[in-house]
Amino acid sequence: MLAFTSPWHYFTDPVLQAPTIGSMLMCLASALIGVIVFLRRRSLLGEAISHASYPGVVISIFITAVFFPKAHDALAAIVLIGALCSSLLGLWVIEKMQRSLKVKNDAALCFVLSIFFGIGVLCASRLQFSHALWYQTAHIFLYGQAATMTDIHIVLYGTLAAAIVVALFFLYHSLRIAIFDRDYGKSVGVPIKAVDAILFILLILAIIIGIRSVGVVLMAGMLIAPAIAARQFSDRLHGVFILSGLFGALSGFFGNYLSVEIPEWGKRQGWEWKFALPTGPMILLTASAICIMALLFAPKRGFVRRRIRALYFQRECCRENFLKYMWKNAQCLPVEGIAKLQFGPKSALFVPDSSSAQNAYSQSSMSFCAEAEPAQKSSNLSSKANLAIPSMSFTQLKAGMGFSLWQTFWMLFCLKNEGWIEEKDKKFCLTTDGWQRAAHIIRLHRLWEVYLVHLGHGVEKVHRSAEEMEHILTPELEQELTLLLDNPQLDPHEQPIPSRNLFTFIDTKSAEKTSSSEGML
Amino acid sequence: MMFFAAIQNNPYWGKNFFNVILLFIERMFSACLGKIGMGDLASDEIQICVLSLVAIASATVGTFLVMKKMTMLANSLSHTVLLGIVLSYLCLLPFLPKEEMSAHAVSVEVLLIASLITGLITTALTQFLTSFFRLQEDASTGLVFTMLFALGIVLITALTRNAHIGTEAIMGNVDSLHLHDLQLIFWIAFSNLFLIIIFFKEWKVTTFDRGFANSIGFSGSLFNYFLMVLTSVTVIGAFRAVGVLLVLAFLVAPVLTARLFSHRLKHVIFLSIGIGVACSVISVALARHFLSVYHLPLSTSGLTVTSLGALYLLALGLKWGLKIYQRRKPLLSKN
Repeated sequence: MLAFTSPWHYFTDPVLQAPTIGSMLMCLASALIGVIVFLRRRSLLGEAISHASYPGVVISIFITAVFFPKAHDALAAIVLIGALCSSLLGLWVIEKMQRSLKVKNDAALCFVLSIFFGIGVLCASRLQFSHALWYQTAHIFLYGQAATMTDIHIVLYGTLAAAIVVALFFLYHSLRIAIFDRDYGKSVGVPIKAVDAILFILLILAIIIGIRSVGVVLMAGMLIAPAIAARQFSDRLHGVFILSGLFGALSGFFGNYLSVEIPEWGKRQGWEWKFALPTGPMILLTASAICIMALLFAPKRGFVRRRIRALYFQRECCRENFLKYMWKNAQCLPVEGIAKLQFGPKSALFVPDSSSAQNAYSQSSMSFCAEAEPAQKSSNLSSKANLAIPSMSFTQLKAGMGFSLWQTFWMLFCLKNEGWIEEKDKKFCLTTDGWQRAAHIIRLHRLWEVYLVHLGHGVEKVHRSAEEMEHILTPELEQELTLLLDNPQLDPHEQPIPSRNLFTFIDTKSAEKTSSSEGML
Repeated sequence: MMFFAAIQNNPYWGKNFFNVILLFIERMFSACLGKIGMGDLASDEIQICVLSLVAIASATVGTFLVMKKMTMLANSLSHTVLLGIVLSYLCLLPFLPKEEMSAHAVSVEVLLIASLITGLITTALTQFLTSFFRLQEDASTGLVFTMLFALGIVLITALTRNAHIGTEAIMGNVDSLHLHDLQLIFWIAFSNLFLIIIFFKEWKVTTFDRGFANSIGFSGSLFNYFLMVLTSVTVIGAFRAVGVLLVLAFLVAPVLTARLFSHRLKHVIFLSIGIGVACSVISVALARHFLSVYHLPLSTSGLTVTSLGALYLLALGLKWGLKIYQRRKPLLSKN
């Protein structure tokens, strides 16, 4: 036995059909308008306007009850007119308070919201006294109720929803300008004020047809939740509109579905309490569930994805620092004689002799920054030299980096696995690739330092900035910096800058680098 | 028959607006002299007292909320309070004796826990959405409070099988006020006033010049949280008494009215307290008037909010008149 009725049944069953389609249409309309409200950063305007429509609803029900007590069918239309009038009044009061009385936006919204709703409550209590049955109808509009909708509602709300969609379709171009670049719109001659007025009317329309199924109190959420969700997936305005409408219709359907099905299911399970779930809150819960899922798991902007990218970047930084540390330490370690180390066919690196530091520096700067020819020469010279890369022990590395035991262990394990370092008799040294990568980072670091000094920063201040920038600079930027600074040989601290020609692996690394640096920016 | 006897015993039965006010002043005077005990207070008097205390409590907090542009926080707290109360009920369910499980026997402990839960959940979620999901602040506010409110409504209808509690939470039920509500709201109003008076200059400096406040060592964010806690306690206390809608109106409307006439912080606070208290007296008297003269039982909270709005309009008119008068004055004296 199925636990739930099939969703398709809701479209074919004559009793369930009207509420289902009705609430889907309403939520579609409000989700579409919600996109504009959300992008214009006036998300809470909907809250005030939906509350402001409540007295109109109650008064129009009261008028119907007194003058046309038999006109149950016309009620929907009369209520719409009443709600339209009072929410227009509410909007006017908000604008007036902000413009002429210099009341802050939020205070004006709260004022209109509470005062109008209070007037609604007052009228409702009057209605409750004289027309108790009609009071129940007014009550529906608080939290929404889809179950009592009929075909008339569908025709009415369907027409209005269609009108909203059509208006948005035809206004799309000027709408885009009105949302994103108002000054440009003014200069091109788009009637921004008229577009704004139409948008406000559309907003009010969407709200007054939405309160029948979502309710006055929750309408604000129904406006923005699908828009927020849609924004997570798309950067294009039409994409956001389409997705938002889709999410709105989906939440309208599933809210209605769940509010009917869950109590039914409970009844079948033989729960001792029986209850009816209000439609509005269920619709809104569905919409916010979609929204939160989108915020968490959206492919590009989702929280989880961004978190992963940031963590990946952090890990890369950490590794690069580690390699850099090993490279620097290797430079300072005493090596017997003038050892010239050869890496790969073209490149050469030089380890300075501790006994004659001055000499070493000048020589190293020569060989580091040498152009292709001398490098070739030096590599020829050193072709017979021993490949003696200075190595470091585990405790040395741990103390030097300030890592914990497990961190060091894990880092060494990872780096070894990926072939950046190698282990010989419990001592670690850089492989050819590791050397090159570390030297490249050093190059970026020192280039950035030179650049900052070139910009006029003090020599003593540039190190910290370079510590961050060395992980971010792309090969293109490096190229430009090299050109701009005329291929510098020494950094501001008189340290040699490793030459560009030393590195063969950069091109393969560059793609990875650009992707990982996005996480931080 | 007992019910009718209780109504007939009410000294305000059948009185019109002015008589109600006169009688109220007279009875309050004798209550101060000790001729009328606390137990003998009529329901109208309890209503007036509770509403006035709500007005005092919310005017003090509301002034700072309006100045700091944080009234939407009060709005979202007033919605999420429902979820807070439901959750604290669920937490306390195992510890409560069986007979106290109805929704009406809300004890003080439940309310305290509820206010803490509400304040924490609302602000934490809103901040979380803004900082981690990079949402606009008002969008995250709107999303969070509607979501939590919807959850609260669903839970409360599922648990109590009664949709009217949700309605009552919004609109309040002033007619069913009791003496212990008076006690609760008295302590809330007292603590609000006390804290505002004691830390008045800290409040002032953190409200108007946050950078300066930080530089002389008052943490602006600490006072923000402080204000948030006070707001949620006020909203919760008033929730039981008069409904969240009313407390929102009390937080904003008297302050805006007072702002029309004064730009000094102290004056605004005192004026808004005065306006709130006057409104509560007037609206209870009006409700009684409608009942005795037109036999219309109107919602007192609705009347209070409406009269707050009407008072704002009146104040606008008054200010406008004053402006015209002041503009004419030099002309008149010249002639």
